[in-house]
This record gives sequence, C-alpha cells and structure tokens, in this order.
Amino acid sequence: MSSNSGASARLRLNFHRHETKLAFLLFVLGTALAAAAPRFFSSVNLALLARSMGVLLIISVGMLNVILAGGIDVSAGSILAVVSVVLVRLGNHGLPASIVLPLGLLTGAGLGAVNAALIAELRIPPIVATLGTAGLFRGLLLEWTQGEWESSIPSWLNAVGIPRWGGLDISVLAAALVMLAAAWILHRTQIGRALFRFGDSPLAAARTGISVRQPIYFAYISLGLLTAIGAVFYAAQLGAVQGNAANGYELTVIAAVVLGGADILGGRGSLLGTFLGVLLLCSLQQALVLLHVATFWQNIATGAIVLIGVILSSAPRLHRKFTLQQSPSA
Amino acid sequence: MMQLRRSASLQPGVVILLVLFFCVYAGYRSGDFWSALNWQLLAQPLAEAGLVSLGMMFVIATGGIDLSVGSIVGVAAVTAGIAAHHKFSVPTIEAAALAAGALCGAFNGLLIGVLRLSSILVTLGSMILFSGIALALSDGNSFAGFPDGLLWWNDATLLGIPVEFLLFLATAAVAAVLLRYSLWGHYAIAIGSNRVAARYSGYPVALTLFGVYTLQGLLCGMTGILLVARLASARADMGQGLMLMAIAAVVLGGAPIEGGSASVLATVAGVAAFYIVQDGLLLLDVPPFVQHALTSVLLLVAVAVGIILRGNREDRR
Repeated sequence: MSSNSGASARLRLNFHRHETKLAFLLFVLGTALAAAAPRFFSSVNLALLARSMGVLLIISVGMLNVILAGGIDVSAGSILAVVSVVLVRLGNHGLPASIVLPLGLLTGAGLGAVNAALIAELRIPPIVATLGTAGLFRGLLLEWTQGEWESSIPSWLNAVGIPRWGGLDISVLAAALVMLAAAWILHRTQIGRALFRFGDSPLAAARTGISVRQPIYFAYISLGLLTAIGAVFYAAQLGAVQGNAANGYELTVIAAVVLGGADILGGRGSLLGTFLGVLLLCSLQQALVLLHVATFWQNIATGAIVLIGVILSSAPRLHRKFTLQQSPSA
Repeated sequence: MMQLRRSASLQPGVVILLVLFFCVYAGYRSGDFWSALNWQLLAQPLAEAGLVSLGMMFVIATGGIDLSVGSIVGVAAVTAGIAAHHKFSVPTIEAAALAAGALCGAFNGLLIGVLRLSSILVTLGSMILFSGIALALSDGNSFAGFPDGLLWWNDATLLGIPVEFLLFLATAAVAAVLLRYSLWGHYAIAIGSNRVAARYSGYPVALTLFGVYTLQGLLCGMTGILLVARLASARADMGQGLMLMAIAAVVLGGAPIEGGSASVLATVAGVAAFYIVQDGLLLLDVPPFVQHALTSVLLLVAVAVGIILRGNREDRR
C-alpha cells in the first residue's frame, strides 16, 4: 500500500524506492541475525517482536498522517501518558470498560483537537504548538497524579494484555486493523487524498478547493485517537502507569516514521514504509536484547540506523531536485 | 528584511511587559522574590540554558533546529568527568569538554550543511546516537571528585554576580557582534530567509551551516562544564530538558521558527522570562507540576500574540 502505487511501479523492482532500500536493510539485519542469534527466528521471539511492535505501529500511523500533512507532533508521548492514566484511574475507581474506553479515546481525540486548533486557528507552527501542549498536558497530568504510580490495573484491561493465539495479543490484531483502515482512508477517501495534496503544497491545495483547516484537524485528531488506542495496549502490557510514562516516546515514533521514508516537509510517505521502519527499529532493539548488548549500545545502534535511513531517504530528493520529475501525489 | 525585523521586535516587548507585571505581583506576594539570594540562585541555571539558547538562536535563524543539544551537553559533561577522573589539569578538562561538544556539533554540521540533510531528522538521529555515546563513555555511572579549579565556576562571584552569569552575558555580547556585524551572521540570516537565493548569490551555505552547528556544539560544551561545576558531578543525562527550553526561549523571544530572523536581546529576554516566571511561581507556592504547565502556557500565549501581531502586518502589506 505505497503512495505511488502505479501498476508499472508495482511490477518492476525499483531500487530507487525507499521501501526497497529498507527491505534490503532488513534483509541484511536478518541474515546477520540468523548467523549471530538464530534464536531470533524462534516462534516465541517472533511473537514477542510482534507484540512489541503493536503500540508503536498504531501511533506511528497517526504520526504518518501528521507528517504527510506537513506537520509534526511532539506531544504524542504526553497524550499517551494522559490517556493511559485516565484509563487506569477511572478503571480502578470501578467504572466499567464500556464507559472508560470511550472516555479514553475521547480524551485522546480531544487533546489532538487542541493541537489542531492551535495550529489551524492561531497559525502557531506545529513544532512550537505541540512543544507547548506537551509541557501543558504533562504538567497537568503530573499535578493530577502527584507523581504517584497506579501500580494495579483493572482486570478487563489486564485481560487485553494477556498473550493468546500463540503468543500474540490483541494489540497485534488492532495494529493490523489500523493499518487496513489507514490504507483505505489514505488512498480511497477524499480526506486521505487531501492530506497528501495539502502536505505537498498547502497553497496549491487551497487553490484546488481543499480546505486549509480540514486536513490539519483530521491529521492531529487521528493521531490523538490512535495514540489513545495505543495507550490501551500500552497500559495493558505494562500493568502499571505513572505520570512520567512514555517520556520521549514521541521521538521514537517520529524516528520510525522518518526511517520509513516519510518526507518531513509533507506530502510524501507510505504506510508500507512506516511499517518497515517500525519493524526495523523493533527488531534491532529485540536483537540487541537477545545478544545481551548493554542499553547504551542500543541507543547508538538506533541513532545510527535513523541517520542511515535519513541519508537513504534524502538521496532521491536530491536526485529529483536536478531532474524535476515530481509525481503529483506520491 | 525591515518588515521582518520590526515585527520580530514586537514580541519580546510583549514578553518583557508580561514578565514585569509578573515580577511586581510576585514581589508583592512574596518577600523573598526581590532578595539578592533569589536572583543569584536564579542566575546560574538561567546562564546554562541561556548559552544553549544562543546557539539555538543561530540554528533557528538558518531555518534549522537542533534536537541533539541535551545529548551533546551530556557527552561534554561525561568527557569532563573522564578527564577529571584521570587527574588532568583544569584547563585540559575544560578543553576536552569543549572539544567533545564542538565535535558533536561538527558531526551535525557535516550532515546538515555538506550533505544537505534535513536538520530535524539529522539531529533526531544524533540525539539518540550522542546519548548512547555519553552513556557508553560513562558506563551509566556518574562522576564526582572534580578539582576546586573547575568548581570555581559555581562558587565565584564578582560584585555579587555569579561568574557563570557574567560568562553568559559576555557570550551574548560576542553573539550579538557576530550576528550583526560579521559576514557569517549575515549569511546565517540569508540562508534562513531563502536558502536557494543564498546559494545562487554565491554565499558559502555549506560552510556557514557547518559553522552554526559547530558553534552550537561548542556552547553545549560550555553549558556542560557549568552544569558539572554547579552540581559537582557529571552524568550522561545531564542535559535533559535543555533542548525544549532552548527552542522555547528562542521562540518566546519572537524569532520565527521558519528562520530568517534573530535577535540576541530577544533570545536573552525569552530565556530570562522562563526562569523568572518559574522561580516566581515557586516562591508563590504554586505546585511544581502546575509551574511546568504554566510556563508552557506562557510560551503558547506569547507566540500566539506575536503571530496575531505579525499576521495583521502581513495582511496589510
């Protein structure tokens, strides 16, 4: 489900496509792992890998929407923390799942709408607006929790995180559904196409009758909503939450999307790339854990792989700059 | 150009006015607010964040952003810790920390200036990379036992003013001269206004950007030394939070995040506003987490007001 899915492009293997390069990187990593740590390909470990990807993939799809629209959101980690605390706190007060879950999703969408309003109505640049709301959401959350842990989670939430189906849990299913829904929305609906056009050139989009506000609201609210969905599984998998949870998580999400080849200037990016980016980041981390590598080497490896992804993804842009062959939407 | 400069000078005015009102109120409510000790204690963290903000001002002026500053501060602090651990002399410790910072900045500058990669992506990657390097260098430990000569930066005062703060003021003066009177400052602003035009005008875009990010790294190195001196220890995660603070300070001072405009005075006003308000809220017994939220609100309000003022001008044009 890539953005430039012309029939001819699909038939021949295009080495200039970012996804191809990513797949190649993954192949190299996989071959190295098969030699160094064959355990990586055991079914238990692959199931663990899939579980660790679920939350990141769900939120990354939302971040892809925002980046496609030419924006950025550094408040996603704060929103993730707010929603997980809301879910767990209200659940622990004895409210049933049928009330808590909609409230949690509504909270996420609402916080996303706050970001969208600041950006669309007050015209605050996205990075500044979300920088501000990240501090605001986090500060209010910490004031609410007073820094205390919620060390137990309600039983229905606990059930969500339990591995079933051969080690997979509901987060894997949810991530798959989110990918399918996003593929349909991004490629088959008016708002999805508007997102690409708007991100490519807001002015040109406005001239063709696309609302200036609608794509912004759609992108940030969808990110808020998907972050809230991610928060359900985040809290369920961790089994405990606190106000400082997911600090800096937004940067991992952005790194995954960028590694997936999305153009930070907007208008370019694909779900397949984002999926491969998440897969690459998560398998790298999983592999380093398996190889008993210290945490700081994980940081070094992650940073290096992000930089490699950035260099790979900008190569075609530099190339295009000189040949001026820009496809309209991809 | 004139248009940009005039509109940019409005927002620091708004910020200073808001902060002055706040000072009067805080002084009225809390007797300690105007005490010399309060301002001395306030001046030191302000100086540290201020140095990073000055570097960030140049970066944002070129239309870029540097997310890796916190990690660079960590690398510099840990380098100082290792040098102190091996009983090197104080100037050597300081030189090592500065060199480590500048090296990290040069790495960013190479990728952004020469390879023309996007600054936000490069520094996102290098932020993770540098924090890993700082952790690897320190093995996750913290260093202590620094020589008195290094701790001098924290202890010494001149006429009751901490030397840390004087160093910050001196650096700000140098930055102002660089920005206003040097060709390099002119190039930096030109690149932020229109990079393509700057390139076609024959400006050394790659070299200027390389210099901007290296300077940012150097200033992070200075901040690392000051932090080590004040806390008498060095850890890999020391610079946490400085990145957001520095970006917020520059933006609060009225610099457009798209680049093409910069003012040292506005940046100093921006960073001072943050620390004065935070300190005042502390003295007013506002809960610590609410302080955090309120400073974020200050950023959003100041930027929104600045944009509304600027927007009106653009509409009139």
